[in-house]
Amino acid sequence: MTGKHIRGMEPFQCTPARCVTSSGPSRLFRFVAVVVACAVIAAPILYGQQSNPTEYEVKAAYLYNFGKFVEWPAKARTADDSFTICVLGQDPFGTTFDTTIAGENINGKKVVIKRVAKPQDALSCRILFISSSEESRLKEIVATLDKTSVLTVSDIPQFTRRGGMIQFVVEANKVRFEVNLAIAERAGLILSSQLLKVAISVRRSPQAGD
Amino acid sequence: MLGVRNYSITKKLIGMNMLVSGAALLIACAAFVAYDLITFREAMVHNLSIQAQMAGSNSVSPLMFNDPQAAENTLSALKAAPNVVLAGIYTLDGRPFATYWRGGNGQTVALPQMYTNQTEGHWFKDGQLLLVRTIVFQRKPTGTVYIRSDLREMSARLKRYAGIAAMVLLASLVAALLVASIFQRAVAEPIVHLAEITRIVSRDKNYAMRATPTGKRDEPDILIGAFNEMLRQIQQREEALQQAHDELEQRVEERTAQLAAANKELEAFSYSVSHDLRTPLRGIDGFSLALLEDYAERLDDQGKEHLQRIRAATQRMGMLIDDLLNLSRMTRAEIRKESFDISTIAHSVVESLQEAHAKRRIEFWIEDGLEANADPRLLRVVLENLLGNACKFTSKRTSARVEFGKMHRNGSTAYFVRDNGAGFDPAYADRLFGAFQRLHGATEFPGTGVGLATVQRIIHRHGGQIWAEGEVEKGAAFYFTL
Repeated sequence: MTGKHIRGMEPFQCTPARCVTSSGPSRLFRFVAVVVACAVIAAPILYGQQSNPTEYEVKAAYLYNFGKFVEWPAKARTADDSFTICVLGQDPFGTTFDTTIAGENINGKKVVIKRVAKPQDALSCRILFISSSEESRLKEIVATLDKTSVLTVSDIPQFTRRGGMIQFVVEANKVRFEVNLAIAERAGLILSSQLLKVAISVRRSPQAGD
Repeated sequence: MLGVRNYSITKKLIGMNMLVSGAALLIACAAFVAYDLITFREAMVHNLSIQAQMAGSNSVSPLMFNDPQAAENTLSALKAAPNVVLAGIYTLDGRPFATYWRGGNGQTVALPQMYTNQTEGHWFKDGQLLLVRTIVFQRKPTGTVYIRSDLREMSARLKRYAGIAAMVLLASLVAALLVASIFQRAVAEPIVHLAEITRIVSRDKNYAMRATPTGKRDEPDILIGAFNEMLRQIQQREEALQQAHDELEQRVEERTAQLAAANKELEAFSYSVSHDLRTPLRGIDGFSLALLEDYAERLDDQGKEHLQRIRAATQRMGMLIDDLLNLSRMTRAEIRKESFDISTIAHSVVESLQEAHAKRRIEFWIEDGLEANADPRLLRVVLENLLGNACKFTSKRTSARVEFGKMHRNGSTAYFVRDNGAGFDPAYADRLFGAFQRLHGATEFPGTGVGLATVQRIIHRHGGQIWAEGEVEKGAAFYFTL
């Protein structure tokens, strides 16, 4: 039994959030917490110096979180000691990655942010965000990454129908996502049911309706 | 407890048994229930903790991807646990994220405060168990889950326990009653029996009674054995005592009879002696007188004087014999008590005394109206003697005074006869009443020394007492009671 509370005693003056943060979570977690909290509250509320997170700040956090719910195959061509998140094309995140996510770690691996111009350069990435600037090249990119164990994420419309794995969708001012599970599985990735649970939709056929 | 003291040992034994077993059972039941409740409470906390962990880990992705709906779906699985009143998922900074209510009311609840540095905390409040647990995902806190559970199950369990305990208690008390009533026969019955025998023995003084031994070698049997032995000894001693008493009584009776016979013989003897002595004495006196009258001229003066002396001596001896006969008669005479005026008798005695002592001047004082309950014939003899003595021993006084009256001494009424005569030496006061005892010479005051002995005999036969006070030449006083 872990409970040490004795009924009738006044609990210590400390909110759970403060208690938890005091145990030393990273800047990112604080960031994610703020992002999530602000998204839940309908009215924009300012937390200290931080302003309401932007859409891409939320998306950056999601990218980072995906890493925790996806299992890569052991033979993946990625460096063992780092976890690389790549951005292909025009970077919409600005400095968000560099200020909050770079230097964090996922499953003990250090998170590294890489910006790439060609899909060939993204083969060693775990997660690849394909900027909407690359919409015209999408077919080529998908073909290049086919059967590699790179988790492809984008906010290009119809991304999951066009060979992508996860597509960001903004619904009622909230960032959500769709998953094409078939493609991810073909790439040898295992997406946690936890992740699928919060997806708007999960496609199980490779390119239905395309 | 006051009433309990007077209960019989049987009731006390049964009561004690039931009290002891009842108390033991109560304590045991209480201990079991307490133990079970503590265990149950721990189990409840444990279960709730598991539920919180499950809800928490299933809410990680909804938290991370900001999907309260998914979290609420997760929480709604708690419907399977009817004890959960409320469950909530909170973001890291304590904002409500998803809430589940047993009734369906979806209102959010503020997260209760919790101790620092702990993943989980729980406490009991208002009949509910509250549990707060930090959701940890990949070793990082992601949010908080809060579950509130009611204690319905625990109170139901408590009620069930109370019912079972009451039934067990009742059954055991009945069993204890049965067992005690069986065993009291072995323990209490011999004692009750012994008490009954003791009561009868002390009431009837019948030491021939015996208590029945139990036949077992236990303490009551030893008690009964010892009691019977005591009774046997008492019986023996009483018999010996009775025998000795009977023997003694017989001996006393024999002695009394012997004594009475001897006394009677003695009295008869002294009477006959006294009586028979008179005849020769009368002869001596008569012939002495005849000698004096018939041979007066032939006798010289010397012879006449001798004869006179012989006559005086015989007359004195005659008086002595009269007194002895009187004493003897007083001793044997039957007493016939009646109430009479003793003052009247005193007056008549004084009258005859005044005639006898006509030449003397004696002042008599007699208290009037004195009543007495005695034999008047014998009381007259007493007064004749005492008043006569008073006259006799005041003969040398020019103004003699004799008093008779009544006084109170030592709580009883005493009659007295007092004079201002010769008195006596108080050292010899006891000897006054012995027969033939004289404190004065016969020449000084004539007398036989039998009078006071007669008086004492009469007073004693009335059951009274007589005593004397006096001093030489300062008068004497005689007191008697009846």
